[in-house]
This record gives sequence, C-alpha cells and structure tokens, in this order.
Amino acid sequence: MRDEIVTVVENRVLTGGHFVLSVRSPQQAAAARPGQFAMIRLLGHSDVLLRRPMSIYDVKMEAKGTVGSNGSSKRKRIARRSRSPALLEFLYKVVGRGTELMSRLEPGDHVGLLAPLGHGFFAEDYLAEAREAGEVVHVAGGIGIAALLLPARELAQAGVEQRLFFGGRTRTDLVGVAEFKPYVTATVLATEDGSRGHQGYVTSPFEDYLRRRPDRSMLVLACGPWAMLEATVAICNRYHRRCLVSMENRMGCALGVCLGCSIRVRGEGHGAYERVCTEGPVFWAEHVVWGERAEA
Amino acid sequence: MAKPKQEGPRPPAVRRQSKRIVDNGQRTTDFVPRLEVEIAGVLFQNPVLTASGTFGYGREFAELLDLNRLGGICVKGISADPLPGNPPPRIYETDSGMLNAIGLQNVGARRFLEEKLPFLRTLRARSVVNVFGYSTEDYVRCIEILNEGEGIDAYELNISCPNTHCGGIVYGSDPKLTEEVVAASKRAARFPLFVKLSPNVTDITVFARAAEAAGADALTLVNTFVGMAIDVETRGPRISNLTAGLSGPAIKPLAVRLVHQAARAVRIPIIGIGGIAKWQDALEFLIAGARAIQVGTANFYAPETALRVADGIADYCRRHQMHVDQVVGSFKAAGGTA
Repeated sequence: MRDEIVTVVENRVLTGGHFVLSVRSPQQAAAARPGQFAMIRLLGHSDVLLRRPMSIYDVKMEAKGTVGSNGSSKRKRIARRSRSPALLEFLYKVVGRGTELMSRLEPGDHVGLLAPLGHGFFAEDYLAEAREAGEVVHVAGGIGIAALLLPARELAQAGVEQRLFFGGRTRTDLVGVAEFKPYVTATVLATEDGSRGHQGYVTSPFEDYLRRRPDRSMLVLACGPWAMLEATVAICNRYHRRCLVSMENRMGCALGVCLGCSIRVRGEGHGAYERVCTEGPVFWAEHVVWGERAEA
Repeated sequence: MAKPKQEGPRPPAVRRQSKRIVDNGQRTTDFVPRLEVEIAGVLFQNPVLTASGTFGYGREFAELLDLNRLGGICVKGISADPLPGNPPPRIYETDSGMLNAIGLQNVGARRFLEEKLPFLRTLRARSVVNVFGYSTEDYVRCIEILNEGEGIDAYELNISCPNTHCGGIVYGSDPKLTEEVVAASKRAARFPLFVKLSPNVTDITVFARAAEAAGADALTLVNTFVGMAIDVETRGPRISNLTAGLSGPAIKPLAVRLVHQAARAVRIPIIGIGGIAKWQDALEFLIAGARAIQVGTANFYAPETALRVADGIADYCRRHQMHVDQVVGSFKAAGGTA
C-alpha cells in the first residue's frame, strides 16, 4: 500500500453518468490484486474531506498515445516503456458531490491515491475453490460490476468457466458488459424498468439458473448494493452454493483506524464487527450478518 | 603517520555560536527555535500529537510516515474490557467535517499492553493512552491494568465521548462527576493524567477548573461536538446512533475559542484539538494558549498532516524568532473578549 499523488490519464464518459477514471501509477498498478480497492482523494476541495473508496476496476499496460475524452488540449502522449502494468482504472457513477467533482477531472490533473487496499478475492483462496467448483457465477448490481472484472480475467486465465448476471435500474446502468465478453460464456442482463434484458431484479434470472442446474457445483462472486447482496446470499443459501461478497461501505480512512466501515459479522463481543477496509472488502457470505444494514 | 587534516564541516562549537539566539531584537536567519514542549514532566520533541481514534495504535501509519518525528501519539480509547462498538452506519461526511459514532470499539487494556504497546515503546514519539469507562470503577480498573505497562508516558482520560450512552459524556457534562472521576483516576494513575473535555457544555471554564481541582495534570480540549444528519429521502438518520460527534475543519473556530477561554481559567497546560489540518490552524491553538496540539480527522485523508504541521510550526518559529513556548498564549487581544 502506497500513498501517492498520481496523474489522470483519461476520464472516459460512459452512459448514465458513469465514467472510467484512468490514472498512471506503475507501482500501485503492479501491486493491485483482484478484489482490492483504492482511496481517491480530490485535491483542493476543503469541503470534501474524505477520500472516496473505489474498487480497482482494471489494471492496464501503458497505452501509446492515450487520448483524453475531456478535450484534446490536454491530450498526452505517453511512450510505451515496458509491458508491466502502469495504469489503474476506476469505474464510477456520479452519485454525490465527491463523484461529481471526480467527473470533472481532466487528463493531466492530479489526485491523491492510496492503493492497493484490502483483502481481495485472493485472500480467500478463491482460485482453488473456483477450480474445484468448475464454474464461477458473477452476480453484479449496478456499479458493483467494477469489483468483478479483475477476478473474471484471472479466472479466465486459470481456465475456469464463468457466467455473468448483471442488473441495474435502467439500460444505461449496464456499463462495461463488453469488457467481460472475452472471459464469460454467457451474460444475463436485467433492468428494473425492463429497458434491457430481463425486467426486474438480477436475482430472478440468477435464481432460475440455479434452479435449472441443481447438480452443478459453482462458486458465486457478488458485488452490489446491500439489498441485492442480501437477496443473492439468500438464494445461494437456498441452493447450497458458496458465495464470496465484495462489500461496499462509507469509509473514513481505509487504514483500519477509524472503524467507521465496520459491518456486523458472525462473532461475539469484540469480534462482532469487522472492518470492510481491512478484513474485507471480500468476505464469505456466511460470515456476514445480513440483518443489519451497513448503508444509510 | 600523517596527522589527519582539519577539513570538512566547521567545528560544531562555531556553528552553534553563529546560531545563537539574538535577544536584542536583531534579526538573524540562523535562529534555531526550541520546539520541545513539556507537559506534566513529559517532554515532547515537538508540540504535535496525533489524536485518539484517528491514528489507531500508531503502527497502522508506519508505512506512510516517519512516526519518530511526531511529538506524541494518543492511541484509540482503551477500556478495561474489549468493546464491540456501535452498529453501522457509524460515519457520515458533512461539509468540511465528518460525523462519527464508533462507540469506542477497542481491544481492551490487556490486549493493548500485550499487542500494541511494545511497538509504541520503540518510538521517539510519546505514547499517550486514552482511557475510557462506563463508571468511575471502570476508569480506575482500566488505569490499574495499564499501570503495569512499560512505555506509557501519560493517560488521557476520555470523559467526553458523545457516542456511548452512559459513562463518557455523562462525566464530562456534570462538574461534580468530572471531579469524582478525575480524582479517582489520578489516585490510581502511575503516569501523568491528561483529561479530555467535552465542548458540549454551557461553560467550559467550570469543567476545566473542576478537572484541575481534582488533580488533572493537563487538559485536552476539545472532543467532538454532538451533531446529527438526516437522509431526506428516507427521513431516517445517517448514523445508527442518531447523534454523532462532529470533527474536522468545520469545528476549528469553535475549538479555538474554547481553548482560549479555558487557558485563562486554569494554570495546568492545555492540549488543543479541533479541526487542525494545516500549520496555521495549529498556531491558532498555540497562540490561544495551548501548549501542544493534536491532529485528528486529517489523519484519515492526509496522513502526512501531522508532520507538515510540525514543519510549519518550526518555520513559523524561525521566521518570528520565537521558541514554541514563547508562542504559547501569545495572543494579542485588540479589544473585545472571547
């Protein structure tokens, strides 16, 4: 984990108020593992104090002549130096003042970046578990998709068959689907308003899938809003499938000291809460107590 | 054998001579300010400490900054027995500030001694252990356990946490109870006792005097201001505890005023805290009468803040040809009172 000031390479506009922020940070990029996250600090805004936790969406090699989407005046040419990772990417949706300010970042701007953070999927030895199961099913809700691209790539490299269930409120929420194409054998989409894919929650087609294949062993990876995770975990329990969840929460420090991101887990006394930033963000679903909401 | 040549840097004596303090008002760029401050017999190498609850047990920040350059570290509030803390959500960001209601989740005094103190002991930064309890007996029991620890420089009695239902703020908002818990803790304590006061009182001087009368060696002020935030969509609270402590730059002017008031009411040293994010903030507290300061919320988003503040204070002292202890309480009131 390193605390750096990094340069924005690109801030790509997607549909529905979504963006992909790309920053150059070779050391942090090289250290990043699937399921880890970063804290982004907006510089020069004294009213927005805290850093914003963001899943590490993608890690990329340095691209030749990367083009900024926000005006060509700051267009930068970066020479390809090596084939080691140099860029970290963050998929985000504008939901409040912090992400609104983020969306205004342009190539050449600077942000503070504390990364990589947390126990990602690697900490759970999920690769071994996934190989044994033979299939991994990703269940993503909205911006939760951002936590699943790196594990999908790693699992594909390990030869594990994968399937993606991805839901959002409306079709413009279903961003980044194409990125998963090389890694998954099937993608099932759902929108609450029916503008794309199944109408309703993504958990319905996911449950249908489990119902149709009672004998198939699989590992489920899920990331999304609390209610969607809770429903996904309930379905996994009903069909006896193991599930790893990547949790989101408001965070003060992400260093494990403010204890602001703690969630209720199966433990007694002092062990009743664990920090999303340090013990997580990836937890086995059965370790989390789902009755108590983590979000306001 | 050839005699070694007298080369290289000038002999230290000469250097020191050239940096001697000039007392006759003449300016000299060589002025070396004394940054050390002494509080209740504890010598801090500079007046910058990190605040309880914002810096863990120190080690969490070891990768990010040189802990040996800090004046001191106040560790997360410790109770005799481990505490689980409050249900989530526990924090919420507000404009230039944040609300928290963590509920003093901590490992307990014994595990602190076994697992956390050995590391703190290795540092040049002084270790101040924040102590919390639900009753006077709790405070005393916690101190008695901690007394066995080697490497504790002082206690900071937390009688001002706004986020636990009994204890904490109850002691900090009744002067009689403040006296009772401070006196009992002082009797039990093997190390100097700082008392962290609540700002959520009508008259801070009453509590400052009560703590001083009961034997406090120094005062830390202030803890967080009780606040609240509502989610207008759900019309529910942003924090499960309903009320929470407000910290960050938003509270700084409130805290400076309370430090200024308290500094004129008591003779014991004051450690100022409340929204310090840059060196100018720290100097406001020192000038208002604080002998040292604590950096709190800023540690969350800019861990290098405490060291930047320490450097800024040193630069200021050089520029103004003052030692830190000369800056303390040097406020020039141009008419009007706080």
